[in-house]
Amino acid sequence: MLFDKFTDVVPSFFGMLNQGPLTLTIFLHTVIVLPMFWIYFSEKKKLGK
Amino acid sequence: MAKENLSVWTSISFWRRSAAWVTGFATILLIWLTFDTMGQISMGTDADLQKGITKRVPAPTVINYHIDYKMSEKRGHEVPVIGKKEPFFGKEWSPKEAAALLHLGKLGSQAKNCMNCHTLLGNGAYYAPDLTKAWLDPMWGATMQGMTGKSTKEEAMAEFLMHPEKYPTHARMMPNLKITAEEAKGLVAFLKHMSSIDTNGFPRGFSKTVDQFKAGGTNAH
Repeated sequence: MLFDKFTDVVPSFFGMLNQGPLTLTIFLHTVIVLPMFWIYFSEKKKLGK
Repeated sequence: MAKENLSVWTSISFWRRSAAWVTGFATILLIWLTFDTMGQISMGTDADLQKGITKRVPAPTVINYHIDYKMSEKRGHEVPVIGKKEPFFGKEWSPKEAAALLHLGKLGSQAKNCMNCHTLLGNGAYYAPDLTKAWLDPMWGATMQGMTGKSTKEEAMAEFLMHPEKYPTHARMMPNLKITAEEAKGLVAFLKHMSSIDTNGFPRGFSKTVDQFKAGGTNAH
């Protein structure tokens, strides 16, 4: 099953991120790496000017 | 003018911005996680217990209740189930008394260095059995009550703690640590409370050893 029911005792935001195949590691790497693409391209634009 | 330094990878400002982003994000995340953890591990209150609100760590007065350990299909492991009230050492403990008893037990467990051989909530050694769910071990029922001649589980446990050398329960026998009657009571309360903590099924496979025990095997592992 791709999405499992939320089963933690004490509900929390980080608990929600850990349900099913989505782990905290995958989530955090995604949110950290994605803005770095933006940083990369904005720096590239600056260098080209 | 010739174009120089067109690679982003050699640009200092790119690395500076990346480092600032990662460090800043991690800092905020760690602070947030700290507070999230505090919420998860903070102890419940006596009122929570009376209202049947499930907390990961229940109030000390949980020693006044029957504690069961049941497989949860939903969560894929066993969870402690707090049941009906039952006397603990023949009485009901007030929140103040229960907290004091638990505190005595905690200090006792540190003074006698239980963790030198046993494991408590994942900390300690595996020279002797894991004590995280020790209270739920069926061995304290018929077997130990029979051996010690006590009529309740808690009295049998306290008697064992005071004179472990008299009762061969494990391949490596527990030494007599000169635990007093009062300390033993505290330690049993401490263990009962610990068994009511939702540890996400830790230690794994506890039921397996319970089944083994019921089938005539031993819980010593």
